Amino acid sequence: MKNKRSLFAVPYVGWMTLFVVAPIIMVVIYAFSSVEGGVTLENFASMGTYASVFTRSFWLAILATLICLLIGYPAAYFISREGPRFQRVAMMLIMLPMWMNFLLRTYSWMSILENNGLLNRFFSAIGLFTLLNRLFGMELEYFPLINTPGAVVLGMVYNYLPFMILPIYSVIEKMDGSLLEAARDLGAGSARVFRKVILPLSLPGVLSGVTMVFVPSVSTFAISRLLGGGTQMMLGDLIEQQFLGGAYNPHLGAAISLVMMVIVVVCMVVMNHFGEGEEQAVML
Amino acid sequence: MKKTNRGGSRFLIGLMFLFLYLPILLLIIFSFNAGDSSAVWRGFSLHWYSQLFQNRLIMESLYITLLVSLLATVISTAAGTFAAIGLYSLSRRKRDALLVVNNIPMMNADIVTGVSLCLFFVAFFQGWGSFARWMNGIQSVVELPTRLTLGFGTLLLAHIAFNIPYVILNVAPRLRQMDKNLVDAAQDLGCTWMQAFWRVILPEIKPGIVSGALIAFTMSVDDFVISYFTAGSSTSTLAMTIYGMTKRRITPEINAVSTLLFLTVLLLLVIVNVREARQERRSASMEPRKLTWMEKLSVRTSTPKWRWVKRGAGAAMACCFVAAVIFLTGATSSRPVVNVCSLGEYIDTDLITQFEEQTGIRVNYQTVESNESLYSLLKSGGADYDVVVTSDYMIAKFIEEDMLEPLDYKNIPNFELIDERFKNLHYDPEDQYTVPYTWGTLGIIYNTSMVDEEITSWSALYDDKYAGNVLLINNSRDALGEALLYLGYSVNTTDEAEIRQAFELIADANRRGVFQGKVSDEVFQKMEGGNAAIATYYAGDYLTMAENNEDLAFVVPDEGSNWFVDAMCVLKDAPHKTEAEMWINFIASTDANLANMDYIWYASPNREALEKYPAYYEELYGEELDQETYEIMAAPPEVLERCEVYENLPGEIQKLYSQLWVELGTG
Amino acid sequence: MSKKLISLADCCVAFDGELVLDHINLYFNDSEFLTLLGPSGCGKTTTLRIIGGFLTPTSGEVLFDGVRINDIPPNLRQVNTVFQRYALFPHLNVFENVAFGLRVPKTETVNGRKRKVKVPEEEIRQRVLEMLEVVSLKGFENRRITELSGGQQQRVAIARALVNRPKVLLLDEPLGALDLRLRKDMQSELKRIQQQLGITFIYVTHDQEEALAMSDTIVVMDQGRIQQIGTPEDIYNEPKNAFVADFIGESNILDGIMHEDYVVEFFNRKFKCLDKGFAPMEPVDVVIRPEDVDIVPPEKGQLRGTVTSVTFKGVHYDTIVDFKGFKWLIQTTDYHPEGETIGIILNPDDIHIMHKSEYSGMFGDYSSYSEEYDELEDVSLLEEDGEGGDEE
Repeated sequence: MKNKRSLFAVPYVGWMTLFVVAPIIMVVIYAFSSVEGGVTLENFASMGTYASVFTRSFWLAILATLICLLIGYPAAYFISREGPRFQRVAMMLIMLPMWMNFLLRTYSWMSILENNGLLNRFFSAIGLFTLLNRLFGMELEYFPLINTPGAVVLGMVYNYLPFMILPIYSVIEKMDGSLLEAARDLGAGSARVFRKVILPLSLPGVLSGVTMVFVPSVSTFAISRLLGGGTQMMLGDLIEQQFLGGAYNPHLGAAISLVMMVIVVVCMVVMNHFGEGEEQAVML
Repeated sequence: MKKTNRGGSRFLIGLMFLFLYLPILLLIIFSFNAGDSSAVWRGFSLHWYSQLFQNRLIMESLYITLLVSLLATVISTAAGTFAAIGLYSLSRRKRDALLVVNNIPMMNADIVTGVSLCLFFVAFFQGWGSFARWMNGIQSVVELPTRLTLGFGTLLLAHIAFNIPYVILNVAPRLRQMDKNLVDAAQDLGCTWMQAFWRVILPEIKPGIVSGALIAFTMSVDDFVISYFTAGSSTSTLAMTIYGMTKRRITPEINAVSTLLFLTVLLLLVIVNVREARQERRSASMEPRKLTWMEKLSVRTSTPKWRWVKRGAGAAMACCFVAAVIFLTGATSSRPVVNVCSLGEYIDTDLITQFEEQTGIRVNYQTVESNESLYSLLKSGGADYDVVVTSDYMIAKFIEEDMLEPLDYKNIPNFELIDERFKNLHYDPEDQYTVPYTWGTLGIIYNTSMVDEEITSWSALYDDKYAGNVLLINNSRDALGEALLYLGYSVNTTDEAEIRQAFELIADANRRGVFQGKVSDEVFQKMEGGNAAIATYYAGDYLTMAENNEDLAFVVPDEGSNWFVDAMCVLKDAPHKTEAEMWINFIASTDANLANMDYIWYASPNREALEKYPAYYEELYGEELDQETYEIMAAPPEVLERCEVYENLPGEIQKLYSQLWVELGTG
Repeated sequence: MSKKLISLADCCVAFDGELVLDHINLYFNDSEFLTLLGPSGCGKTTTLRIIGGFLTPTSGEVLFDGVRINDIPPNLRQVNTVFQRYALFPHLNVFENVAFGLRVPKTETVNGRKRKVKVPEEEIRQRVLEMLEVVSLKGFENRRITELSGGQQQRVAIARALVNRPKVLLLDEPLGALDLRLRKDMQSELKRIQQQLGITFIYVTHDQEEALAMSDTIVVMDQGRIQQIGTPEDIYNEPKNAFVADFIGESNILDGIMHEDYVVEFFNRKFKCLDKGFAPMEPVDVVIRPEDVDIVPPEKGQLRGTVTSVTFKGVHYDTIVDFKGFKWLIQTTDYHPEGETIGIILNPDDIHIMHKSEYSGMFGDYSSYSEEYDELEDVSLLEEDGEGGDEE
């Protein structure tokens, strides 16, 4: 009887082999070979040129993740302290933007951040530039907002913020109320309850939020493309260029993907391990 | 005691929502804009909504999105459920090992999943190609197709592949919670295993299956990156269409479609919310358990399976299903097709309709960003085009790599109308493969309200005076070409030192912050909106921009420039060669050339059309065509003299170009 | 005279090379209440699963009415099971749970043609209501399973199994999850149902009291082997080895030497007993039940010892007495304070002699009295782990 049921797993195992394992093996094969064929480490060796892209990607993604955490955690916490109807509506409102394509939302930021965009028009309309120019003797006509690293981080935060709020909220919301009462009962003040009970207990939510923001951030190419104007090249752009963009070299693209994959997995493993350790990881 | 804090925390929550909703609000507001800008309000209009339903590109990609999401959801839900059941009858060690593999697609960045699947499909197609040729060689019973390309099939497979893990993750906890004795009990009571499955297991894990299906649907609808790498370019989901558009000018029709989507989901959520609140009040504390499965925003699995997503998805799925059925019944006709790929913004779309009406052949019209992207696309097996339009030097490369099919000029009588100047050119000296499409020059476009001198040299591109206001053209050939010309070298130089010197010029300017960004078709929006002062682009495109912003000026610098011919050609083994030649012939006709010239402002290689255009213009608009405009469009001989054509560069120089180009981005 | 209904002939079961059932030979009579008793992991549940058809023995035969049924799947056996934690279907109400077995279409071969047979709806209704009445759950038909108490769920599980009119009902620790009071009630209830319907009950438990109270026959198992089969009285009064003696009730087990028939020596003293048939000077285990020991003033006793602890148990005192370093448990109605020296007298019928076995020396000393109680309470927990293991 048992055997019969485990037969169900056979097509699945076949499928996984074909569509999960085999493609990753393909990436590995491509990464270790060149156009001419043959095993080579050339792709990895030439990656030194792109060290700045790696640094920028990880730096911007970490920044975006931190900002998401700084906005998302208090938001989740405050929402969880509200009444059920408020919570319900708030959650709905957080989910709702995700139903629009993230490219559209990013595009909308483009029109806001342009040199001649809504924000700069607004500043100019309230006379900010005239004021500044008069005060400091500058010749400002606009703030350069678009095509800056800041714009890219903004795009990431905007798009992935819900991914941070939701897991944290769901953990805090499910927290056993009697636990907090117990902590109070044992003489802990509000701040202490938060620090010693709520924060450590919400750690799984934080970790999954961090993962869910960091991974898409570090690998994005559309956001950096739209808001970074091609000057803020990230790992995603680099990979995309090697496959479908101007610089056709799938071998290099595969090598970069592989390295990125390994770094991300190692980060995640280390972080999860750290998280299991103790509360110190909270501040991560 | 908490009352005091509440005001403050609510204020912060409010700020966050403002941040989340402001861009969306703008998107919605500008969907009602009478003009086509997303920054300047030109009055209220529903124009874009009526346009939306006539925009085939958007409607088709909407249909593809819904279809692929539905199919992927149904298949992956069924497969994932069975797989989960299978997994739970394996020993724990095996199960855990498999679950690790199961998590890979979720842990991985989308781009890695997309790229790996893309590589896998391409490798498979190559293998299949050899197999099919061998099979066709040894037998003649079944004719196997030898050329497979990325398309709807691979898109669907990819979606199924990334959906199954989510389904398993939703079903598995249900199976884990299920009392294992239930199946034994059912069998004990006389069920065969299958009966037990239907009567006991399925009802027990149903909530898991439902939420798994909804998550899968949401993921599918929302996906962009994986689709982008696996759909090839003849199939396009809504997200891909939007991405394609954001690279050029996004039409407010997209604002309209997203407004409609947004309002639909909003409405559905409100309805569900209100109903549920009512239900909850009614059954007060009776059955608090009822919600839990939906509420399981499982942190442990890191999946975004949120109640609202799922409810919305459920409702949307129902709507989509109806829509898909309607669509399917309407769209299953098997008309002959021709797949055309061209550079962006490069045709009067009415011509497509005309051709379809005349011949009954469906035109699948796709665009790519640059010649280089087209090459990548073809190489990575991402396309199954018949006709491509691309530039001279790229055609030379295609011919060199044996990627083109010789044309049968008997089927293209309109080739005779092409001016002798554009025949037997360097890239196709014997006119075997190509029919010229347009020609023109590269030049500097600048905004006279932002630049107070008259620009006559490429030097303006690297000038600190215009720091932050120069747009660098986003393709290596043009960008390096400009620098080479400025330095007084040939655009076709194969001297590595010269090329490196040119690169250094650009890289240095880049470091000094001269460039605002690297752009392709985004240049339209940037220059028209006055967001940059100087850019380099093609003469025809300048004229399009000038229609929307009178301050813009165009110049072919004194150092000279590039003049180019873009031509149509048919790819090797194109499946619809006859239709392709019909299309080429149609486009080469004088009428089509006139219409195109008027629409895209690129000069025509058709002798008659070139001559007739001023008259055509006058008849159409009731005013005379400005000679200056005409000369920008069709550069006079004295200008052409200054210009060079791009020749196909040797392999190692090409490699150097793309290497330098990537380096520029990393600097 | 009752007849053999099911027999297990030389059944072995091995999981991952580990022998879980070791050559079991056992038969079950028609209409009897038989209990498989033993600690967790002893193989009792495995035996039950073999009979239910959820497990095929690695070797050996299962016979039903003399016909080999090793390969007949559970759905085709005339046997029904009441599962450990009831395994009620949460998505169905009480009525539908009970009706479940009746609603399953059965394939019958009529004139060589297969066809599906369904029980008519009216009959289903009648039989379900009837059965709910038997288990005293009339009027609960439309309740949801989650709204029932543990005892009520238990009854539904029994009704669900019995409504199919099985020849044998298997019960796998059915009362394990109930509190003590409810358990007692259900014990007599089960016994009543068994007698009312006159079918065979095969009952699995680790609770010896439950086994003694309900069974016609008890099979004591340990380590995959049958230790003893007999009536409750036999098992209690004539344990075959130290394991059985210890597992069934409380026992003081001492090393002794059988000098000749009816004479045994322990604590360097010869005692009269009622056992015979041992080899001369054979080392044996001597079992003395705590309640059989009579306490007398020290000077009158055959043995003398010091009380080391006393626990009040309601009806009696559990008194631990140290005899030359060996601690006995004695149950007495008289109170003897700690530190008092007492004497005891053993009558010949209080002494029970067993051959030495692999269990000798493992049980019967009450030096670690309290731990032994803990161990018993842990059994239910261990049982769960054991089941998990079986499933692999």
